[in-house]
Amino acid sequence: MSILTVENLSKSYGRIQALKNVSFSVPEGTVFGILGPNGSGKTTTLGTITDILQPTSGSYQLFDEPPSADSRRRIGTLLETPNFYHYLSGVKNLEIAAEIKQHGKEDIDKVLEIVDLTRRKDSKFSTYSLGMKQRLAIASCLLGNPSVLVFDEPTNGLDPVGIAEIRELMKRLYREGKTIIMASHLLDEVEKVCTHVAILKRGELITSGKVNEILSNEDLVEVSATDHQKLLQVLNDLNGKTKVVDENSVVKIFFPIGTADLAEVNNFCFNHGVTLNHLVIKKQSLESRFFELTNN
Amino acid sequence: MLHLLKIEWLKVKNYKAFWVFTILYAFAILGINYTGFYINELTVESMPASQMLLGTPYAFPKVWQTVGFMSSWLLYFPGILFIMLLTNEFNFKTHRQNIIDGWTRKQFITVKFVFAILFSLAATIFNFLVALLFGLITTGSHFSFAGMENVVYIFIQTVAYITFAMFLAILFRKSGAAIAVFFLYGLIFEWLITVLINFQFHLTPVGYFLPLQVTDVMLPIPFGNKVIYKDAPEVWIMVIASLVYVVAYYFFALKKFTKEDL
Repeated sequence: MSILTVENLSKSYGRIQALKNVSFSVPEGTVFGILGPNGSGKTTTLGTITDILQPTSGSYQLFDEPPSADSRRRIGTLLETPNFYHYLSGVKNLEIAAEIKQHGKEDIDKVLEIVDLTRRKDSKFSTYSLGMKQRLAIASCLLGNPSVLVFDEPTNGLDPVGIAEIRELMKRLYREGKTIIMASHLLDEVEKVCTHVAILKRGELITSGKVNEILSNEDLVEVSATDHQKLLQVLNDLNGKTKVVDENSVVKIFFPIGTADLAEVNNFCFNHGVTLNHLVIKKQSLESRFFELTNN
Repeated sequence: MLHLLKIEWLKVKNYKAFWVFTILYAFAILGINYTGFYINELTVESMPASQMLLGTPYAFPKVWQTVGFMSSWLLYFPGILFIMLLTNEFNFKTHRQNIIDGWTRKQFITVKFVFAILFSLAATIFNFLVALLFGLITTGSHFSFAGMENVVYIFIQTVAYITFAMFLAILFRKSGAAIAVFFLYGLIFEWLITVLINFQFHLTPVGYFLPLQVTDVMLPIPFGNKVIYKDAPEVWIMVIASLVYVVAYYFFALKKFTKEDL
């Protein structure tokens, strides 16, 4: 089953086109990252599928059905900023959210415990720090134990410990079989928690699919030697590589996916009079891939 | 609908400003009527002849109309309150969150209007009790159901003012702008437009059909209204006009809220 299917979604704000014919599908049980720089249309995409924004054209389905208030109730959503009544306490705010989602109060203590807000649950929302507001919003998403979670920049405003906790929470939710749709501009976040990714750039979908397929079109081998110049010279004649990139302290050699052979590289260099002092195979990092994909 | 109202109740139950406004409003209704009652007693005491003109505004059956007229000046109170209740949602972006969490856009608007009607009902009941009180303490006055239709007009007028305020809140989204327009329009510009239409352009009674004016004319000052609201249309016509406005505000709000980005 597809949790979310987006078909040719476009959205214009006046003359600005925030989304251009975006289509993708989120399979059940995945952590689906929507990745892109600021202003690439991530929040617009999520705003549309939560009925906050009206698409200019195109459509979407939730749980393979036309979207409805009922399907939204089955999804825990944190969109853009934590939205709560400032004059109410954390727990009173969750009571309202639980009522709207048509759940009882029984989950409230549990979700507050998960995000570590129990101690401050009776304080007014307006007295919360940015990180606490964000954690309350995540708690609200977890009400009623929904099978699908939508997080827009979930680690926004959190300190390093909070960030690690939320990522751990997402991994746990994923292991429990939940589907998570997450927008982020943090590459490393997507790399760490997502199984699937859709990359957006200025409202256009550049690519989407499994993280390890999209992010490693190529194998990357890192090498270095005392004689850096000679190493570069020698590598020019190496067979099977796609390119060589000089990064001062190390040299990166790219190969078509699955063809990098460390022994062969080592042998080749040694036979040409260069002794390597560093030889390691790395998948291309998402960061470089991301810049590659989004650069003109 | 009961479930939606329960949620609306959770929103205001612990909202201090809601209770402060409501209690102040209740005291103000008592206060303004007591002031009117007292001044009337003093005037009649010092100039018995003035009763010829004033009548007995706080005696049955006139008291229903008198209390309605006096309290109508205070309708800006609940108006501002409901502007705040709506613009709070926009400021906190909770109007978005309510939809995200599983309300339909129509439910969001509808429950606000229903809540406004229930609030108006409570205000009307309070006005009824205040009228009853002043009617009973006026010397030489005996309880009478005559003129009770004015209590219905109080209700309609309260709903009309509050929903007009809500209409402005949804139109402007900012409490400052909505409150400023509400006051300026209600207290100054509407009168100006009425006067212009009715007397400058001689189009009476067209000027009486402005959104707030029509309810003011429906529940006029308890003496001398034949002079102030000359050639006013019949009451039932104004009742219908008021209700048409309320329905129009609802459909406008519904259309705006369901068609636009939130």
